[in-house]
This record gives sequence, structure tokens and C-alpha cells, in this order.
Amino acid sequence: MMRTAISILKKDLRMEFRSKESILAMWIFSLLIFVIFNFTFEVSRLVMLEIAPGLLWVAFVFSGMFGLNQSFALEKENGNLRAMALMPVDGGQIYVGKFFSVTIIMLMFEALIFPIFIIFYDLQLSLGMFRLIPVLLAGTIGFTSLGTILSAVAVHTRNQQILLSLLLWPLVSPIIIWSVTLTGMVLSGEVTEAFYPLLLRVGAFDVIFFTLSYMLFDFILED
Amino acid sequence: MRSKIDKILLIILLIAFSVSIYLIFQWVPQIKASNPAEQIAQRIFYFHVPSAWLGFLAFFVVFCGSVAYLATRNRKYELISVASAEIGVLFISLVLITGPIWAKPVWGIWWTWDVRLTSSLILWLIYVAFLMLRRYLPDGSKRANLSAVVGIIGFTDVPIVYYSIRWWETQHPKAVMASSEGSLAAPMFFAFMFSLATFTLLYVYLIRKRYQLLTLEDTLNKQFKEMEIL
Repeated sequence: MMRTAISILKKDLRMEFRSKESILAMWIFSLLIFVIFNFTFEVSRLVMLEIAPGLLWVAFVFSGMFGLNQSFALEKENGNLRAMALMPVDGGQIYVGKFFSVTIIMLMFEALIFPIFIIFYDLQLSLGMFRLIPVLLAGTIGFTSLGTILSAVAVHTRNQQILLSLLLWPLVSPIIIWSVTLTGMVLSGEVTEAFYPLLLRVGAFDVIFFTLSYMLFDFILED
Repeated sequence: MRSKIDKILLIILLIAFSVSIYLIFQWVPQIKASNPAEQIAQRIFYFHVPSAWLGFLAFFVVFCGSVAYLATRNRKYELISVASAEIGVLFISLVLITGPIWAKPVWGIWWTWDVRLTSSLILWLIYVAFLMLRRYLPDGSKRANLSAVVGIIGFTDVPIVYYSIRWWETQHPKAVMASSEGSLAAPMFFAFMFSLATFTLLYVYLIRKRYQLLTLEDTLNKQFKEMEIL
């Protein structure tokens, strides 16, 4: 049933692993964000600890735009977008395939940039840090579930890249706000009882965004 | 295109706005406040809150129009959503302007990152992006589909945005209508309701006008295309 989704996912991942275009660009860009941030805000270590979660998510969100933009821009190049629209399958499957490929690429990039983040900002590694995994997962899925459908919307315009940011950032702001709060709790080691309900909430909205996008994706493809 | 209904609406609106301005600035008693500036600034409430209400109403209409468009593919619904989105952005802009005008004398600051303010700003950004999307797309069914999708996602996001910022401390005055402690005095309530009704009527008038204009543009474009073919 999900064969189309799986083949799109396989194709995208194969392309990414051969060229490493998106991951590399995202990684370098995040590095740049950390460097520029360091120049522009010369803050003490104590303040740094407080703003670190925000900085991490700024890096994720800004860099994530690369992957999202790329995802459908690549399809447009040889008229593949039209070919996809003509495929006799449910548009939702294309969404699922694209969503997973973008999400996996972004999660891999996050895994690669996180050690650098730890080193640059001298954060203490501890066992509690494992709690960050569900947080990053939930936050990233929220970001990419909306991002994938809006990328498919923006790809039809002349100003794809800027428009995707304009559309996505206000809509995804709740997910980012919660993810930053959760990340802050983990990094500071002050995981309160509010942690899991909040995490659950992000998960719930991930499901809402995903389902909504899945249902609406058919309308984006048709002419 | 000038229909009788529009003319009547316009006349009613002119009268209603004159009356509501009289009510707001003359008839309603002065509020008790230690700060004289606050007494004057408070009257902006009669414009600020109805504008916010109108913005939400307009965006709800965008949502309904978008759903109706995707279900029926009737261009009429697309045009209604667009007209409504434009009006909504206009009135949320008014909210974002009148709010700080009130806040400066009362709070001493123009802006604070409080839940209502932040969520109104994000709301404004969502629908500005909606309108910009339409500008970047060529006219056609593609544009209609894409903007309908964004119109639906955008409105679904509105409560989530509000919810996500809610737990920050709020400085914004409570909803005086809904809460039991601070209810409005009778004349204030009347003036407020009158203003609300006037604004809603204004919305009806504006969306009718904008819709007619968009239909005219459509007809004109069609005629141009026919001429090009010839």
C-alpha cells in the first residue's frame, strides 16, 4: 500500500547519500550560525547556558530550510513534479515519502551537529541527555510535517525560498516554542514533572499536522 | 454592479459610525483611573476589541471559503477567501496599532511579548504570508488550490499558537465580557456592543465590495484573454 512512499523515500535517501548535498550544507550552515552568534553576542558562560537551547533550535530551523527547499526543488528540475502529479497514486503517499526523507536527513544532520554544539558551548554530558532524543524527534517531526507540505506549496512560486520561510515559521512557532522549553529542561538538568505532558503535547500536534498535511496533499499536486 | 443593498448598507454604516463615535467619546462615562491619560486611552478599547473580533471572523471566513473551494471548485469561494483574508489582515493591523497606542500611557511601554500580543502578531504574519503566496503565483486553479490549503492549515494553527504562548505571564487585560469579576458598566456595555455591531456591518460591506471588485477583475481578465486570442 505504501509502495510509492517507500520508493520515493529510497530514491531521496540514495540521492542524498551519494551527493551529501543537504546534510553538508546544513551542517556547515549551523556551524556558521554558532560562529556568528559568538561574534554578535559576547555573553558569559552563565548566560550562554540559558540561551543555548534557543540557539540550538535557531540552528536547526534555519538549516532545516535547506533540506525542505531542496526536497521539492529537485523534483522540479526535470519536470518530475508534473510526473509525480500524473502518477496514478494517492497524493498522500508522495507526502509520506517526502516527509520521511526530509525528516531522516534532518535528524542525521542534528546528530552530526550536536557534538559540535556540546564542544563549543562546553555543556556537561550526562545520562539525562538521552531525554533529548524524544525532544529532538518530536520537534523535528513537527517542523518537517508542516515544512514538507509548505515546501510543496512554495515550490510553485518564483521566490520559493523566502516564501517557504514566510509561510512556515509563523505556523511552526508553537512547536519551536515548546521544543526550546523542553530542550532547556534537559540541558539544564532540571526536568520537572511538566516535561512529559509537554512532550506528549508536541507529539499530539505532530500527529495533527501530519494528518492534516496528508489529507490536503492531493490538492497541491493537481493542476 | 452598484446594487441597492450596498447603498443602503453604506447609509446605515455612516449613521451607525457617527452614533458609535458619539457614544464612545461623549455618552460613555469616564472610567475611574488614577492616571488621566489612561482615562482617555481607555476609549480605544471600543475600536481595538471590535477590530480583533473582526479579524478572527474574517479568518474564519477564509477557512470556510477554503474548505468550500476544495469541496466544490467554485471560484466564488476562492474570491471570498481572498477578500476576507485582506480585510482580516487590515483589521489585525489595526489591532496591532491601536494596542500599543493604549499600552504606552497605561503600561508605559509600546510592546511586550505577552500571549495576546505575540499571538496576534503571529496571526498577522500567517495571513500576510497567505496573501504574499497569492502574489507570487500566477492566476489559475493551481493558485486557488495552494492558497486554499494554506488557508486551512493557517486557521487550524491559530488556536495552537495561542495555546503555546498562553503559559507566559499575561499582562493583557482579561476579557471583560467573559469574566465574572470585572464586568462592564451598563452604558459601556451598550457602547461596546454598538461598536461591535457597527464593525461587523462594516465587514459585511467591505467583503461585498471587495468581492465585487475581484469578480470585475476576473471579467476584465477574461475579456483581455479573448482579445489576445483574436
